[in-house]
Amino acid sequence: MEASRDDFVIAIRSAFLRKGNQQKFSLLSLILFSILFLVLGSLNFKIIKFNKTVIKEIIYMSSFIVSVPENIVKKSFNKVSGHFEYYNDYQVTKNELEKLKNKDLTKKILTFENIELKKLIDDYFVEDSQAYAKVLTDKKSPFLRSIVINKGSKNSVKAGMIVYDGLYLIGKVVEVNFLTSRVLLISDINSKVPVTIQPLNIQAIMSGSDKRKGKLQYIQGEKLINKDNQELIVVTSGSGGIFKSGIPIGKINLAETLDNDEVIVNFYRDFSQLKYVKVSSYAKNSNDLDQSNKKTFKKNNDQIIELNNQLGDIKALQQQKIVSNEVRIKLELENKQLKIDLINTQKKLTEQNTKIENNKDKKENIKFLELNLIYGHKCTRNFFNPNLYKINTDEYRTCVFNKGPIRKTR
Amino acid sequence: MINSNTNINSFLYRYSPVILLFISILNEIDFNNLEFRYFSFNFAYILIFYYSLKRENGIGYIFIFFAGLFNDVVNGTPMGISSLCYLLLCAAAVYLRNITLRPNLIKDWIFFLVTISILNFITFTYLILFLDYEVDYFDQIINIMFTFILYLIFLYLFKFYDNVILGRH
Repeated sequence: MEASRDDFVIAIRSAFLRKGNQQKFSLLSLILFSILFLVLGSLNFKIIKFNKTVIKEIIYMSSFIVSVPENIVKKSFNKVSGHFEYYNDYQVTKNELEKLKNKDLTKKILTFENIELKKLIDDYFVEDSQAYAKVLTDKKSPFLRSIVINKGSKNSVKAGMIVYDGLYLIGKVVEVNFLTSRVLLISDINSKVPVTIQPLNIQAIMSGSDKRKGKLQYIQGEKLINKDNQELIVVTSGSGGIFKSGIPIGKINLAETLDNDEVIVNFYRDFSQLKYVKVSSYAKNSNDLDQSNKKTFKKNNDQIIELNNQLGDIKALQQQKIVSNEVRIKLELENKQLKIDLINTQKKLTEQNTKIENNKDKKENIKFLELNLIYGHKCTRNFFNPNLYKINTDEYRTCVFNKGPIRKTR
Repeated sequence: MINSNTNINSFLYRYSPVILLFISILNEIDFNNLEFRYFSFNFAYILIFYYSLKRENGIGYIFIFFAGLFNDVVNGTPMGISSLCYLLLCAAAVYLRNITLRPNLIKDWIFFLVTISILNFITFTYLILFLDYEVDYFDQIINIMFTFILYLIFLYLFKFYDNVILGRH
């Protein structure tokens, strides 16, 4: 028992401490050195960071150089296989081009509308900085699906910038060195992207699952069943502010989803074929908007002041109008009353006039009767005075009033 | 002429595992992450274990250490973790070589399975506990199983290379 324990100790000691003929370090010292590397790596000292960056730069470059022959073989194979697919692609593309030409105009209008509406809700981003980068290495690690690109802090690349292949989202920058950067692909299991499923407008979180597929979390497959059987497109939602909203990611295969009890997203892009990528960062178009906002604000302010003044005037005028209306109503009532009075007065006047006329007639008649009694005989025609007038004629009446016939004088 | 051939032969004998190890690590094709869902294996583990077990001087600890560092940088894992795993694998192989009087393929094979399981356990523990990584356990189990199974095939390939191509017994 004692002997076997001794053997074990000797074997262990020999394994860890003995240096071979051509070994310069013992295993134990190198193991301790590895642990030291791990510990120092977790600390954020400037010197350690600098050293790490230098080591990484050297290794990325050597990785790129080592991968050159393999990449040449890959490229040649892709070239040959791609050649056979050109004609079919050409026919399909031709048809698609015709369709797209028709859609283009509608799209332009919708884009413009979309920009205007986004500006209104303050969700319109413009490209702050962008850089095109070459993919140096596409190393497939079991823990991290990522690529290394040939742009670093020298080219203003910053951690968190969005990386595109064409128009499609492929990942974000997670590590920046001086000349190179590492991009975490959205196919990585640690990558979490807030997404929207269009046209159902359902929100979800997408994480990587497979090389060409993503998995939606916190959502059930049955929710995606729609009556019209529309194609479901996954785009970034913009929640959290890391990704801009509306960047296309992939499509959902509904049949596959319902079979697997998991919502699977088929990416638009094949991440193993990445060659050149675009690295962008976004910002709200603060400068332009600020200037125009200031102008608009000033203009609006002036308008508001003017409108307020006008409103004050209108209020005063309204008060005046109310008062005027009251006065008018009073005047109208008075006027009405006066009219009634006038009519009554006119009636009375007419009556009075009538009475006066009647009195006049009566007076005249009385005067005629009086004068008739006195001078009637001087005006009555008889045998002796045939030139006089018959009784009850106008000439007779005039004669009576003239107190007898008027004698003609030479 | 004979002398130069001997020099090339001894250079290849000594450094071909190192070159193979560095190419496998720096190259874009990684057997750890092939295009297949249910197939992946760790070539570096097989290579290091085989040559540490079968050769007196192995690949060279310092080369293994740097290979681990390179692997960490290329894969984006914390620097030092692969070096630690490779060196521990090396230590296990050397220990097995020290205690073995009569080499037995099955014993070596089972010992390799136990060692890579422990090493993967160390790696996962570190990544999950300290760095909050999310790991697909199913993928890792597949990786361990195929590394274990393919050890036999590579064992014969490496033997063939050493014995027949380089003519070393």
